[in-house]
Amino acid sequence: MLLQIEELTKVYRTGTRANDRISLAVGEGEVFGLLGHNGAGKTTLVNQVVGLLRPTSGTIRIDGRDMIADPGLARRLCSFQAQAQVPIDGLTPRQAIDLLGQLRGSSKLEVRRRRERLVDALDLGEWLDIDAARLSGGVKRLVAFAMAAVSPGRVVMLDEPTNDVDPVRRRLLWRQVRTLADHGAAVLLVTHNVIEAERSVDRLAILDQGRVIAEGTSAELKGRLGAALRLELVLSSDSADAPISPFPGSSVSVGNRLMVGIPMDGAGQAVTWAESLQRAGAIEEFTLGPATLEDVYVALVGGVETGPAELEEARSATAA
Amino acid sequence: MQLLRSYQLLVTWQALRKKAYLPLMMAVQTLFSLGIVLGYPLLFPTLDRTTIYLIATGAPAISMITVGLVALPQTVGEQKTEGSLAYMRSLPVPRLSYLVADLTVWLGIVIPGVVLGVLVGAWRFGLDLQVSPLVVPAMLMVALTATCVGYALASTLPYMLTVIITQAIVVFVFMFSPLTFLPSKLPAWLETIHSILPIQAMGEVTRGTIAPNEFGLPPGAFLVLAVWCVLGFGVTYAAMTRRG
Repeated sequence: MLLQIEELTKVYRTGTRANDRISLAVGEGEVFGLLGHNGAGKTTLVNQVVGLLRPTSGTIRIDGRDMIADPGLARRLCSFQAQAQVPIDGLTPRQAIDLLGQLRGSSKLEVRRRRERLVDALDLGEWLDIDAARLSGGVKRLVAFAMAAVSPGRVVMLDEPTNDVDPVRRRLLWRQVRTLADHGAAVLLVTHNVIEAERSVDRLAILDQGRVIAEGTSAELKGRLGAALRLELVLSSDSADAPISPFPGSSVSVGNRLMVGIPMDGAGQAVTWAESLQRAGAIEEFTLGPATLEDVYVALVGGVETGPAELEEARSATAA
Repeated sequence: MQLLRSYQLLVTWQALRKKAYLPLMMAVQTLFSLGIVLGYPLLFPTLDRTTIYLIATGAPAISMITVGLVALPQTVGEQKTEGSLAYMRSLPVPRLSYLVADLTVWLGIVIPGVVLGVLVGAWRFGLDLQVSPLVVPAMLMVALTATCVGYALASTLPYMLTVIITQAIVVFVFMFSPLTFLPSKLPAWLETIHSILPIQAMGEVTRGTIAPNEFGLPPGAFLVLAVWCVLGFGVTYAAMTRRG
């Protein structure tokens, strides 16, 4: 494996354990997703790989070489799209992408050729020569991605690359993420957008409270849920209580929706049950479909809250 | 080679980022200088020759110190808070390249204000200044010390503390620092403090090279500046390379 992280622990000075014995590995040509709530410890992890934070314990190796001992080498081997916006106000996307490509050691000509291809692929042409200060957040995000991709390192780390990007260009961006891997990069993709990740990653790990709580391919994780199908019920506004599922699988309530895990051979029974609920006025409508990664994610991670790592990252940004 | 190439590219990057900032900073520095050379004389019933020269040479010194010790730390502090400094630190180049490139661009912002300050002073008092040949290295030394110390403040202290300290520096520089008056006017204890701090040395080097016929150039002032410059740079570099 190209990127190998073992038993990585990061405890901030305040005592917050943002990463707790994390082990994962990403191979050449692989897109590895790191999923988790805000504050699960995702950004802390990538900041350690790129040498902005020193791990409390554990190892980070790229191609067998110790990145904790040589953070300068880590920065040269990794391309990085940070979660924060890139500081390019005053520059045009053309200037920003070209500068980053040259800073990574590529020739002007090579950078120009790759920039033209990326700008076409991401449909950025109309903004190429506009001061970034006048660009929307989504376009800046795409430019930041192009900066990371124009002369990619052997490891490419993308922290929430699709935030604020419009749906059409998101698809273009995911295609380019795949292209990076196809050209041999190990891509570590940090996101909380589970639905998009499902379509784009080869393998993934789910982080919660600084720990890896599940790892595998999307299919493997869905298999763990023990339910191949998902029945989604939209509860009636006047229904007092959520219906109780007759199925043994997990059942998660989000707003006025109830998601029930259904085994493959339970499809007929599920539809009969849902129809009876609809007739009784307990639900407005229902949908039966294949289980998604989001179901696995919600079942594993549960409710929405701000984790300790996010508070710590905010604190360390404003402190020294 | 890598250091030089990355330095050139980063100077381009930082200069483009600050290009909108430059006219604004020049305007502010000109206003500072105008304020000093037009306003300070109102405090004195009569202006003797020494006072005139002190005010005219104090204006560019105050202008440099204000950018280096106030505007720079506030800007770098903001960059630290919004995460853009972390992004620049994650670039695949030696951190020394980034630091030196950013300091170069800040010097580019400071220097026009010095020239403007000198011109404004000479115009207001009708002075025929015979500047010393040392004026260029001397002004670079003063500007570099101010920017290095300012950078050190911002890179080691939390943002809010940086803001508070820079506000205090403004008052201290304008009212209680021997830039537009001689150190002998200060109480003894403050005179002692100023013999250690870099501000008085900045004033001495500025007036000693802009108006060498009026003021001496104490060699010790360069030594004080050199110590503060190395200290500021070292502290900043350590903060830049530190992994939290």
